[in-house]
Amino acid sequence: MTSIEVQDLTKEFGTARAVDDLTFRVLPGRVTGFLGPNGAGKSTTMRLVLGLDRPTAGCATIGGRAYRALREPLRHVGALLDAQAAHGSRTARDHLRVLAVSNRIPDHRVDEVLEETGLASVARRRVRTYSLGMRQRLGIAAALLGDPEVVMLDEPSNGLDPEGIVWIRQLLRRLAGEGRTVLVSSHLMNETASFADHLVVLGRGRLLADTPMREFIHARVRPRVRIRTTDPVALKSALAEHGHEAVEHVDGHWSVDHARVDDIGRVTSAAGVPVLELAAEEGTLEQAYFDLTSAEAEFTAQPQEA
Amino acid sequence: MELTPVLRSEWLKIRTLRSLPGTLLALFAATTAFSAIAGASNTSDPGFDPLFMALSGVVPGQIAAVSFGAMAVSSEFRPGALRLSLAAVPQRGSWFAAKSAVIAVPTLLVGWVTALAALLVARAGLGPAADGLTTGEQVRGVVGCGVYLMLMALFAAGLAALLRSGTATLSLLIPFILVVSFVIGDATGTVADFLPDKAGQLVIRGTYAGSSLGPWSGLAVTALWTAAALLAGAWSLRRRDA
Repeated sequence: MTSIEVQDLTKEFGTARAVDDLTFRVLPGRVTGFLGPNGAGKSTTMRLVLGLDRPTAGCATIGGRAYRALREPLRHVGALLDAQAAHGSRTARDHLRVLAVSNRIPDHRVDEVLEETGLASVARRRVRTYSLGMRQRLGIAAALLGDPEVVMLDEPSNGLDPEGIVWIRQLLRRLAGEGRTVLVSSHLMNETASFADHLVVLGRGRLLADTPMREFIHARVRPRVRIRTTDPVALKSALAEHGHEAVEHVDGHWSVDHARVDDIGRVTSAAGVPVLELAAEEGTLEQAYFDLTSAEAEFTAQPQEA
Repeated sequence: MELTPVLRSEWLKIRTLRSLPGTLLALFAATTAFSAIAGASNTSDPGFDPLFMALSGVVPGQIAAVSFGAMAVSSEFRPGALRLSLAAVPQRGSWFAAKSAVIAVPTLLVGWVTALAALLVARAGLGPAADGLTTGEQVRGVVGCGVYLMLMALFAAGLAALLRSGTATLSLLIPFILVVSFVIGDATGTVADFLPDKAGQLVIRGTYAGSSLGPWSGLAVTALWTAAALLAGAWSLRRRDA
């Protein structure tokens, strides 16, 4: 199968370094979330992979080959970079036909991807009349046109309605399930958490993390137990006996840091504390991400000593 | 990558943007209309050149050809469009060659039809004043006129790729065609003969004495300008980030 390989990649625009010595691989069979704040270099990296921008140093390859060396590249790599790229005066169908013909993709694929993205009924309307969400779907249709092994989408859920967001989530899962290589950039954490298996995180053009998503969260967000009781005094003392500290929150629930539900449940049960609710609080991707980026900000804010 | 699918795709792009075939229609309409007006005008001028008079509709009409070339290229410089095109066809040289071909061929064909129609319409107006025209002159005028229009469209296409803008290209070329050449006008025998439009237009003149160029060498000068513009456009396209 085909992976995306990025090796020592650097891109400078004038004096600004958009991508700074990046090395990572995007593997098939899973959805890789590409995270980072605006301007972190996600889109630039995607353009470098597609051979649209020339790297200052390093290289990006697809299955070991430069994008420009691919014969009929749309059959190997499908990309959505900018939903506004389609010409407003063309119909959606003509827009896709133009792309299909250039890579000798049969015409029936055009109708298939229009069907798949839910645009079949509006395919003969001019793109000018499309909403942002419809343009986004058209961009995804273009990416899927050549039935590619590698799919690269830049902010695909932009402008999609709630239904569209569920649809894209299922689509991404399905593509990865079929063994394709899927790279999806986003700056929406909850959205990414809903479809990604693996994460590549950038900050100021540099690689901050390249790990499975679960590991990323568990390594950065401490486990916590949430508990509600009718007898806070008994709860506090029972937990204190076992070295746990309970903290009360405004809405009346308590939380215990660095603890597991299994332990806390046994403690409260043995002490006869009435428990109304007991739950493990899962760390979110958002918490983990901010933990990483704040650590990074601290690191980069340190004055450089010569 | 093979060139045929790229050519087909580029041709489809032109066909599916209504404004582009419309521009070629405008080329035909404007040229024949202005030639018809010229054919009905006064023929007693001592410097009267029936061939140029009959095909003079090309002078304003070429603006449509120039617009066609500029717009066909500039549609690729809308935000995101070039990236989409080059992701499909990463070989930029081949891509631009195909783009140039689908600008050149329709302009040439429409140019020939237009020149023939303009000549016939104008001759109907000129009547006996045009009787002195030889067949050779008329064939040369019509054939050369089509080639000239094609070269001007490609010249604009090359400039549009270099400037990455149709507006910039047209605001440079249209005043140039309408004003500069008109002002320099009859200043033959000078460097003005070598301007891209002036040189090429010799091919539709019956008399070109006094000029340093003949009809075909004039057209060759225009071809050199066009080649330079296309090469500059291709160079810019290959060198710059999309």
